[in-house]
Amino acid sequence: MNEPILEVENLTVQFRTKTKMFQPARELEKWKRVLDKISFSINQGETFGIVGETGSGKTTLAKTLVGIYKPKNCKIKINGKQIDFRRKEDVLFLRRNIGIVFQDPVGSLNPRLTVSDIIAEGLPDQGKLTREERQKKIKSASKLVELPESKLESYPPELSGGEKQRVSLARTLAGGKKILVLDEPTSSLDVSIQAQILNLLRDLKKELSISYIFITHDLNVVKYMCDRVSVLYYGQVLEEGSTSGIFERPKHPYTDDLVKANFSFTSSNLSSNIHESGEPSREGCIYKNSCVKRYDECENAPPTFGRAGDSVKCWLYKDEEKKS
Amino acid sequence: MASIALREELRPNLLDVKDLTVNFETIDKRVDVLRDVSVIIEKGEVVGVVGESGSGKSTLALSIIGVLDVPPARITKGTIYFDGKEIFPSFDEKNNFRGKGINMIFQEPLTSLNPVYSVHDQMEEAVNIGEPKMGKKEKEEFIKQTLKEVMIRDVEGVLNVYPHQLSGGMRQRVSIAMVLVQRPNLLILDEPTTGLDLIVQRKIIGLILSLKEEISSSILLITHDLAVAANMCDRVYVMYAGRVVESGNMKDVLRNPLHPYTKMLKNSVPEGYSSEGPLKVSSGTPPDLRELPSGCAFNPRCPFVKEKCLTEVPELKRQTGRSEVACWLYE
Repeated sequence: MNEPILEVENLTVQFRTKTKMFQPARELEKWKRVLDKISFSINQGETFGIVGETGSGKTTLAKTLVGIYKPKNCKIKINGKQIDFRRKEDVLFLRRNIGIVFQDPVGSLNPRLTVSDIIAEGLPDQGKLTREERQKKIKSASKLVELPESKLESYPPELSGGEKQRVSLARTLAGGKKILVLDEPTSSLDVSIQAQILNLLRDLKKELSISYIFITHDLNVVKYMCDRVSVLYYGQVLEEGSTSGIFERPKHPYTDDLVKANFSFTSSNLSSNIHESGEPSREGCIYKNSCVKRYDECENAPPTFGRAGDSVKCWLYKDEEKKS
Repeated sequence: MASIALREELRPNLLDVKDLTVNFETIDKRVDVLRDVSVIIEKGEVVGVVGESGSGKSTLALSIIGVLDVPPARITKGTIYFDGKEIFPSFDEKNNFRGKGINMIFQEPLTSLNPVYSVHDQMEEAVNIGEPKMGKKEKEEFIKQTLKEVMIRDVEGVLNVYPHQLSGGMRQRVSIAMVLVQRPNLLILDEPTTGLDLIVQRKIIGLILSLKEEISSSILLITHDLAVAANMCDRVYVMYAGRVVESGNMKDVLRNPLHPYTKMLKNSVPEGYSSEGPLKVSSGTPPDLRELPSGCAFNPRCPFVKEKCLTEVPELKRQTGRSEVACWLYE
């Protein structure tokens, strides 16, 4: 077992919300917890999937990992080095090591820069390079993502969706980053283009031995891309485990619902599994309002999360946790 | 096989689109968006139209219900018959097919619902069109009943709310309910679940299928997702660059896709685990409709390209059973 390249412990992010009009200023402020004590670790060359529906905090997690949002409290270790979000150098160190590819390729590329300038943005020591060295690095990065050299002098609006996503990826890879956060990298693309990008990502992983944090809502993509998966529901990890474990033996009722709801060529029996879902609960288990297997224990306290490799946050597996 | 043939004779086609050709006028060019598209829907059938962006799926739907923006669009060729009556090019105002005949559910319910009317008022409008003779009390009851049918629990709460106050799944349910009160014979669904969460998507699709049985209508489903089509449709049309390249029974197309594009589309959906090798897709992107290659539009991406493909456009040819394919490989 090699040393994890990224360790995250108790990551909590909360946003300030304002509620009602005409209230004293002190009462105006309320905090909404978007991510609640998320812990995971990633080894080198591993793809870690994060699955969740709208509002589960997937994108917030991605943005926190590259230092866009500040977490309330957490321990993040990169290659064993502890990151303190209050120190500017540490945040810079974080950004030098973790790259991100956003969902929306239109919004993440500056329309006034050429493709080669955008890729150069990712170079960490741009100022010290000579023109030739810079050009060489840009070319090797664009070669990695199979972007034709003729496109280097065009502007983002002239590119297709798949090409834009390749540019995004090249910008991250040019900096030599070892951990890539991919936030729904293919959800705005056509299926055949999505398949091309997925193939490219897999090839790159083998070639450069980088790690991915793959965030998506598409279970087919997760199954195909990831080694381990974590299921997020309204800011909480409900289940974590190996991809095959999650898909073949889903433990948590929510994971079970998700896997059953997924469309594939072989799935059948559409009318089954239609039960009402409710709002996430504030007391007890967060999923209890939508859960089919709800019982007394779920009402009182939120279930605890085991530390074993395959772990699940559900009272149904209370006995198993004790044994192990 | 004899029984199938008999059934085909007994049931006339509900919708019959023949050789539909649509082009869009731009400043310097006329762009063909649909070229010689023929689609047939029988009574009680669920038919899918699958294709990537720019294949003309939505244009087809809009031309069928006759809400295409003219200009820039112009239908230059083709006829559309609905329930035995011609609805395009000539159209008798007395024979209004929209509403009770053909109805449509759009991709984004927020833009298809009116933001300044409450759910109740919009439902009432739909009921007035569908059941004009209904009394006021009866109408209220009918609206509530329909909302319950689409699995909205808090009916009273939803009635007085405006569309933006509802969640995505709820909005789509309301727009389904509005269509439902008119009991259409043909329901066109334009990407009805894109952008919805997985569990909600499953519920909406299950709901549509069970309601279809109840009001005995046919469905034309437009989608980019072959997996969704596989679970809903009896028959499917695959479109590429404004043409139908393959059609047939859904099961046959899935088991044995004929056209190289259909094969690629099927291979693009990841199914197995990562250990099972890369996805078999060819490079290239969907074509720019302004600059289509000569011959078959798929030829730059096709792994089996022949000389003939570069010069001549293949016609749809019937193969075994109900499947048809437009490809020079199957001469």
